[in-house]
Amino acid sequence: MALKTMIVSVAGSPGSLVTAKYAIYLAKLLGLKLFAVYVVNERVLQELLRSRIFVEVEARAYERDLEQQGRVFLERIKKMAESKSVEFEGILLKGVVSDEVILKTKELNADILVMGEMKELTSRAEVFYDEGERIFRKSPCPVVVVKNTAGVENLFKEI
Amino acid sequence: MRLTDYLAKEFCIMDLKATTKEEAIKELVSVLASSGKVKDKDDFVKHILERERLGSTGIGNRVAIPHAPTQSVEGLLIACGRSKQGIDFQSHDGEEVNSVFLIGTNPGDLNLYLKLLASLSKLLNDKLFRDEFAKVESGEGLIELFKKYEKNPIAATV
Repeated sequence: MALKTMIVSVAGSPGSLVTAKYAIYLAKLLGLKLFAVYVVNERVLQELLRSRIFVEVEARAYERDLEQQGRVFLERIKKMAESKSVEFEGILLKGVVSDEVILKTKELNADILVMGEMKELTSRAEVFYDEGERIFRKSPCPVVVVKNTAGVENLFKEI
Repeated sequence: MRLTDYLAKEFCIMDLKATTKEEAIKELVSVLASSGKVKDKDDFVKHILERERLGSTGIGNRVAIPHAPTQSVEGLLIACGRSKQGIDFQSHDGEEVNSVFLIGTNPGDLNLYLKLLASLSKLLNDKLFRDEFAKVESGEGLIELFKKYEKNPIAATV
């Protein structure tokens, strides 16, 4: 059965841009359609509201800002993908990051999931609560974790 | 991503001179300005005070976390101060504040900022951490305490 779709999880950081470039590189090599998913982290906003660090109006403002950042980021990746003639679709979601990424991966029946390098864990708690760890462990399809980010730029230029 | 990646002993004031909320915010912003990453101190203070006007960041347990995103800073900055006499932050529980954590971020780093705020909130909900925090006498000691709890939060809260 031929591979058809790849999904990449992005968070709007410079590191995420590198992850996206590697995903575009792989999608081009393998001839796959690429989906990029950006999730507005509603859980962290709720936590900050509950702990009274945020007030309601503030949390809503951050939510709007994160949505806007997500749109801009996905648009940027779209342009990069188009410049390499890779079929692309950006998806903006809200909720718990790992849950949303896994749900979308299943829904799209993605063949490969690409994600950024996971942070070094310092405690057992992080194994359960780190969003990257959860995506890695719950993914229904093979996962590519992008490392050696210094080399990605060269690979991206090659295609 | 850890708090101690951003909080340095140079940004810890063990005995704040401030007696009011505004003075405390200005004192902590001044210490962060020594990093060279604050482009406009007054604007940074203005953003923090504007946020306070929406509602106090005195979250209870004698702790306040004033915060704001602003173009006046590069990256993400955290300072911490302790006040022996206590400061009126108009906290939700009506108590004066003895510990103030001030956080500023460039709006480009929002996701990181939110995660750090959440991590700090979890840590400060831990009574054992707060008790140990109150006893530490130096900036180095504070950083070591944060590292200890970041390394093993489960053991630390049992």
